[in-house]
Amino acid sequence: MTDVTLTVNGEERTASVPPETTLLKMLREDLNLTGAKLGCDVGDCGACTVLVDGIAVNACLMLAGQADGKKIETIEGLSTLEEYHPIQKAFEEVAALQCGFCGPGMIMSTKALIDQGEDLSKQEIKDALSGNLCRCTGYTKIIDGVIDAYEDITGKKVPETNPREAQSAA
Amino acid sequence: MKPFDFVQPTTTDAALAALAEHSPNVRILCGGTDYVVELKHGEQSPGVVVDISRLEDLKSIELTDAGLRIGAGVTHTEIMAHPLIAEHAPAMIEAAHTVGAVQTRNLGTLGGNLVTCVPSMDSGPVLLALDAQVTILGPKGSRQMDLSEFFVGVRKTALEPDELLLDVIIPTENLGKPAGFIKFGLRKGQALALVNAASAFRVEDGKFKDVRIALGAVAPVVMRASKAEAVLEGQAVSQDLIDEAAKIAVGEAKPIDDFRASKEYRNSLIEVGTRRTLQAALEAANG
Repeated sequence: MTDVTLTVNGEERTASVPPETTLLKMLREDLNLTGAKLGCDVGDCGACTVLVDGIAVNACLMLAGQADGKKIETIEGLSTLEEYHPIQKAFEEVAALQCGFCGPGMIMSTKALIDQGEDLSKQEIKDALSGNLCRCTGYTKIIDGVIDAYEDITGKKVPETNPREAQSAA
Repeated sequence: MKPFDFVQPTTTDAALAALAEHSPNVRILCGGTDYVVELKHGEQSPGVVVDISRLEDLKSIELTDAGLRIGAGVTHTEIMAHPLIAEHAPAMIEAAHTVGAVQTRNLGTLGGNLVTCVPSMDSGPVLLALDAQVTILGPKGSRQMDLSEFFVGVRKTALEPDELLLDVIIPTENLGKPAGFIKFGLRKGQALALVNAASAFRVEDGKFKDVRIALGAVAPVVMRASKAEAVLEGQAVSQDLIDEAAKIAVGEAKPIDDFRASKEYRNSLIEVGTRRTLQAALEAANG
């Protein structure tokens, strides 16, 4: 067994797990944090996306032991009982999700993207979410939700067209 | 996953000691984007898994006397954001950007991409076109070799079970060498290359010099198209010659026919990819 201590959503949590346990399995089965979803289990779908030291990763591809000592953020850390996180609010307002299974991963990828503090174009947003699959929505509403969340949180505007595309057209 | 023992060294010496102790029933884990999936599907326990993701020696990008040194544990995301790569080997950024998607680029490493040694690896062509070398650490010390020798076959490299890949070095004379990269996939994100390609050359007195053309996903390992290179080498720069070299490159590759793309389609991608990367290198050369 491997003793793994994580700081999950600001709280120190420890579990003793077999070495072959993924971070996702530890979060879901040992820490009862079932927000991150088990989808494809091979790193294709992004339903298990969590932030490790601020970086978006597939929790299904990381062994729990590799995350030992690191800071983990999951969807459970975003909202309080009283209030949604601005990303969740934006997703709700545009009805970004249908079945919702991809939602926690989409929202955590969005958080990692906005936390970087870079100016974003629509193309960059699409690129940043290309590791998160959704089988319901066709993505349009999700991208709208990310744009609204980004504009709400940063006070910036996503340009209507990618400035680089506009430049090459001119 | 079958049960295994897990070791997490924090120094390369400790990592090498663990490899020596448990070899050959030992495997190295770093980013895990490929190997953890393999572990999940594996029928047999690897015995001991040595996690090298905490080795600082593997994480730096720096200029040395030999050239630009990129630690094997550097992630694709780190490559994309690093000023030394942008300055000296910008084609590597394009290649890194085509790997998987954000989450896999955040985990996956340059060394992992090379060691896994699948024909469709996205890091291989640019590095081959820039004559990259690799440093291998083992019980007898370190050894260096050309990246082209490091690739042995599908999922097979020159690494012994008790060795690890330390870094990749782009030689000083090739820093800033004009280069281009292209990847053809079925879509932009999360796609394996149907064909990828990189070209690099200098223009001196209006002539092609030190031409390198590297192709991926068209043979068991990433390969150089040396006949196509020879078409250009020392000749006056012209679009006609670029077109001819691209046609010659097709004859050098042996692409497979599978559910992702037919052999004919891959052949046509080889021609287009070779031509476009040569043109990109020419544009870079013309500044």
